[in-house]
Amino acid sequence: MWIQLMPVLVVLSVLFGGALVLGVMQSLGFAPWFGVNTFPDFQYFGALWGDWFFWQSLGLTLYYALVSTFLSLVMGVLLALALVRYFPGKTFYKYLYKLPLMIPYTVGIALAVIMMGNSGMISRLMAFVGLIDDPSQFPQILKTHYGWGIIAVYVWKQTPFVALTVYAVLLGVGRETEEAAAILGANKWQIFFQVTFPQILPGIVSSTLIIFAFNIGAFEAPFILGGGFPDTLPVVAWRYFNDADYTLQLQGMATVVSIALIAGVILYSYLSFYRRYERRIGRH
Amino acid sequence: MTEVHLRGVGKDFGAFTAISRIDLDIKSGELVALLGPSGCGKTTTLRMIAGLEVPTSGQILFDGEDVSEVPVQDRNVGMVFQRYALFPHMTVEKNVTFGLKVRGTPAEEIKERLEDILDVVQLQPFRHRFPAQLSGGQMQRVAIARTLITKPSVLMMDEPLANLDTKLRGEMRRFIRDLQQRLGITTIFVTHDQIEAMELADRVAVIFNGNLAQYDRPDVLYQRPSSIEVADFMGADNIFPADISSAGVIDSRFGKLTFDPATAPAQDGEGHFLLRSEAIDLLLTAEGAETNLIQGVVRNREFFGASVNYAVECAGETINVSEQSRRLVEVGETVWLRIQPNHIWVIQEGSRA
Ligand SMILES: Nc1ncnc2c1ncn2[C@@H]1O[C@H](COP(=O)(O)OP(=O)(O)OP(=O)(O)O)[C@@H](O)[C@H]1O
Ligand SMILES: [Mg+2]
Repeated sequence: MWIQLMPVLVVLSVLFGGALVLGVMQSLGFAPWFGVNTFPDFQYFGALWGDWFFWQSLGLTLYYALVSTFLSLVMGVLLALALVRYFPGKTFYKYLYKLPLMIPYTVGIALAVIMMGNSGMISRLMAFVGLIDDPSQFPQILKTHYGWGIIAVYVWKQTPFVALTVYAVLLGVGRETEEAAAILGANKWQIFFQVTFPQILPGIVSSTLIIFAFNIGAFEAPFILGGGFPDTLPVVAWRYFNDADYTLQLQGMATVVSIALIAGVILYSYLSFYRRYERRIGRH
Repeated sequence: MTEVHLRGVGKDFGAFTAISRIDLDIKSGELVALLGPSGCGKTTTLRMIAGLEVPTSGQILFDGEDVSEVPVQDRNVGMVFQRYALFPHMTVEKNVTFGLKVRGTPAEEIKERLEDILDVVQLQPFRHRFPAQLSGGQMQRVAIARTLITKPSVLMMDEPLANLDTKLRGEMRRFIRDLQQRLGITTIFVTHDQIEAMELADRVAVIFNGNLAQYDRPDVLYQRPSSIEVADFMGADNIFPADISSAGVIDSRFGKLTFDPATAPAQDGEGHFLLRSEAIDLLLTAEGAETNLIQGVVRNREFFGASVNYAVECAGETINVSEQSRRLVEVGETVWLRIQPNHIWVIQEGSRA
């Protein structure tokens, strides 16, 4: 058993654990290669957390991550529910909806720029049909702190992912319990919330964990489509790392560690909340 | 309670015809079995009655009213699924009360009815368990309780006993029969076991390939099957071709046999006759020289404890005979088979379909 697990354990602990330890140490002032070694030193965290912009950035990061996770979740579940029912052209849709999964994020971002930009397809189209007089009157969607572009890209990419996961779970659950509930007199809301939802919850939880963890740490979309200062935390970290003043690297590392801490706390509470629910309904 | 009528009901799945055309009248309070081989359309028929499947043709009537427009939720039927379909995330109690809760029954009444039904199905000790923690028989009783608590006017059960061991099957059969008679619910249950169908049902509908082959009382079905397929399915093994005369004479490879045209109405012409293995007397001498005597040699003996089966070779054919094992006849002995004229049944396809 142990022998078989050894290669994986070595890779995991050296690559992941080593990097983690180094990162944490660096954020606490251990960077002899820059001629800095004040370990343990909380000044970088202090400087970061003491500044108002950090909390604004955190708010933005959470806002983009939560809104897009929630939207992808709702749309993904609806899509999965539709896919287990019969409708004409179903095989075609089953291929179509998986398309965004195979297209890289950067391509999605480029698509968002082409479609939603100020002289993008949508604005031209609206001008063409006469909804607005000139493409330039099109409201600014990208590069604002509402983050419509960022959210659109995340949702576009992640709805199929949620749908795929939940669809697989739904296939395993089958239609029979829903039919039994209908015969017992339940209407479709009661069937969904009391019978289907609790059974697909494991799929929902695992897929939201994955997409939320991604969204909170993602960099490209907020970097390209975001509204500038205050940036999301990953972009803030990137700016520190790229700064000419290389001692700011430590500040950047403190930002990265903060992101990891926050994501960890949120995901952990989400999971333990879910575990409590599972225990309450008797699953182990 | 409720009468159920199927009028020319058919069901196609795309190009595939699952049910060609079925007419069925089920009286109020009657227990009817749908019997047939796997894939013949039993489950499909039940699902159409429940409203889970829309018939392609024909009508389904409850107490004379067409229910095709009535949604599943409002039909007030009950269905016990082939694989129970219990809610895995709910305890026995929650499973059982689900139907009442979604209908908005007052909590007081739910509590009362829950206690009653748990007593009936003897599940009191398991009320806080989850389905995964129950045995097959217990799960099945949960499924039955969950259905009965809503007081359905038509109860449907899809192979309710298929997953149980022999002993439990017997218990559950008696349990279902008692309960059904006590509550007087019109009940339709599906099985592919002819013994089970005969033991439980008031009437049995035999379905082959989406067609109703015969619909009769169990004894009629057993003794007077309308076709060779039905006879075969009901476990008959002595079916032989013959020339039949309406006067009551069979001309077969065993010579001339007489039958009673009053019990088995027949036309002149070709056909088959059926000898029930338990209606044949096995004689060791031909004394008395009665009619309907067939001479043969015992070729094989199967001993089942209470009963014993003999394979007797007569005129190149094998006739199976079964009797109580009060004596044992040795293999190789010459014997005479005697059959009473009123125990011979003739089958002439097309004449009595
Ligand atoms: N949704 C469906 N789509 C296509 N064909 C179906 C569908 N449901 C059932 N069938 C077909 O209809 C026929 C009858 O099916 P049904 O489930 O009624 O059989 P059954 O008599 O209940 O068999 P069993 O004893 O094995 O349960 C089968 O050939 C089956 O393949
Ligand atoms: Mg079936």
